[in-house]
Amino acid sequence: MLEIKDLTVHYDGAMALNRVSLKVEEGEFVGVVGPNGSGKTTLLRAISGVLMEIEPGKKERPSLSGSIMFNGKGIDKSKAWNITKMGVIHCPERRRPFAEMTTLDNLRMGAYLRKNRSEIKKDLEWVYELFPILKERARQMSQTLSGGEQQMLAIGRALMSKPKLLLIDEPSLGLAPLLKEAVLKVIKEIWRSGVTILLVEQDVAITLASAQRIYILAHGRIATQGTKEELMKSRDVREIYLGL
Amino acid sequence: MVTTYIRRAYSSFVAHVFDIPARLLAFLLFLTLLFIPFAIQNTYYLRILILANVLAIFAVSWDFLVGRTGQISLGHAIFFGIGGYITALLSSSKFFGLPIFLTIPIAILAACIIALALGIPSLRVKGPYLALVTMSFPLILAALLKWYPLNHIFKGEFGIRGLPALVPRLDWMTIGQQRVGEYYVTLILLFAASVILYKIANSKIGLVFVSILDDELASKACGINVTKYKLMGFMISGLFGALAGCIQTHLLRFANPPMFALTLSFLPVIVTFLGGLGTIYGPIVGAYIYYILDSYVLRDWLPRFLKETVGVTLPPEFDFAKLLIFTLIVLILVIKLPRGIAKFTTDKLGDLEEARDLDERGPRIWKTYKKKEKTTSTGSEPTASS
Ligand SMILES: Nc1ncnc2c1ncn2[C@@H]1O[C@H](COP(=O)(O)OP(=O)(O)O)[C@@H](O)[C@H]1O
Ligand SMILES: [Mg+2]
Repeated sequence: MLEIKDLTVHYDGAMALNRVSLKVEEGEFVGVVGPNGSGKTTLLRAISGVLMEIEPGKKERPSLSGSIMFNGKGIDKSKAWNITKMGVIHCPERRRPFAEMTTLDNLRMGAYLRKNRSEIKKDLEWVYELFPILKERARQMSQTLSGGEQQMLAIGRALMSKPKLLLIDEPSLGLAPLLKEAVLKVIKEIWRSGVTILLVEQDVAITLASAQRIYILAHGRIATQGTKEELMKSRDVREIYLGL
Repeated sequence: MVTTYIRRAYSSFVAHVFDIPARLLAFLLFLTLLFIPFAIQNTYYLRILILANVLAIFAVSWDFLVGRTGQISLGHAIFFGIGGYITALLSSSKFFGLPIFLTIPIAILAACIIALALGIPSLRVKGPYLALVTMSFPLILAALLKWYPLNHIFKGEFGIRGLPALVPRLDWMTIGQQRVGEYYVTLILLFAASVILYKIANSKIGLVFVSILDDELASKACGINVTKYKLMGFMISGLFGALAGCIQTHLLRFANPPMFALTLSFLPVIVTFLGGLGTIYGPIVGAYIYYILDSYVLRDWLPRFLKETVGVTLPPEFDFAKLLIFTLIVLILVIKLPRGIAKFTTDKLGDLEEARDLDERGPRIWKTYKKKEKTTSTGSEPTASS
């Protein structure tokens, strides 16, 4: 479904990703773990296209080489909204929802590109089922939600875009351990319902516990990859990268 | 048959206007505006209200751009001036001599295209930087208009004069009747412009603007073509800004370089902050307050008062001090009443309203959906709270 070959990204001359190759098959749950600054966010932004978008205040666009294919089509030159249209949905890091909107309007924004009202409604019910708290907060301004609720809303909003491939950036960031588990449980449920997932995390334990296959990212390079068992077999990997 | 219809219309009017304090106030103000010409016979005063209507249209368009799409423009005069000059060139009997019902739409369309160009910097810079960039545009154009090789077209400082009037004075009309006509034409255009902008601001497009203003990256992740919407914001705003310029040009029957002046770029800022940023109705209130203060108080009452009671005659330089006085008023307002006068009032009335009915508030964008949602959520509430 997603195939990345030799992806290299420079910010202003500084290398953030170095010949990263990575593959996600349809229906898979793939995790990428790496410490702070290893390039996880850059990777997801490159895939979803927001990396190369012009934004006010941004001095220079990063440079990107290599290829990113989604369902056999090169998307590394596509606009972000076009990639979203194809079903690659990015749930950005540390992203609070749109503050000046209610929870419900935030979810509706997720469905911005969709036309079929009855399907949108069905998905809304589904999001409410996954995160019942969002239903209670439906008409509350989202800036008044707690951190955990905001993360749930961010994921809920991504789901409203009807993702084929869902890119999630550090959903556990800043959440209490119990809440982390709860959010991860829901992500697994989303995966079981048929959404392919690429999860990027600093938290090794929860990634190992949920993803089928894991890439280890260090200093912008893929150090190694494999299933949990394969990775745990090697003492070096355990000690150097996983800290277990 | 007819009576039931009237009765139903009346009860819906009571429910939608009379029962909501803020709307009742707006309705009363609207009625006042509608009947003012009957109360004011003085054509000079009526003229001032007409200009207030034009400024209100202009300020509402600025408020839409800045308050609703979050793109700060301090060069809004460019739309005003471009609208004015294009309709002037096209309608002037020395050039094309086209009728104004053709030239005004053409001028507005042209301004939309200019707005597209003006919007491009907003893709790169924002906040104060965008404000500075936009500020320079009208100044450049004003310089171009005064450039002497082009004097045979634009007539430099003198401007293009002798243009057709917005409301032509027919044989049987007195000046007073012409003014009343102008008043109603501008009032209708103001009403139309603000209703359209208000509707856009509270539609799905308005929601998209809110999302871009809040978080561009997340908006892109939702699949929003941010570039398109930003330019669209400029175009919509430019359209109504140019409309204001066109109207004023044909009211005063000339277009001259001061239409691009800094003062005209700052006036919408002042009146919008007077009324309330991002409200659409605020700038209308602000424009009226501005003109009442400017013309009745500062120009009429104050000099007369000073002359009669203190015996001081104000020098002509006093005109300069006026902008200073307004800047001071805005400064005090921004600190003491940051929401603006109109917004402050409606918020106070809204609090009354809220005390009575907590449920029906919030943007009405997904109205139909919320109605259904409400019926289901009330059903599950006991379980949620237990
Ligand atoms: N906008 C940017 N401009 C310049 N350098 C950046 C930018 N964003 C990230 N970087 C750099 O790229 C590297 C990778 O960052 P990032 O992808 O955010 O890592 P992670 O998400 O794994 O913490 C870091 O060294 C960071 O300093
Ligand atoms: Mg990151």
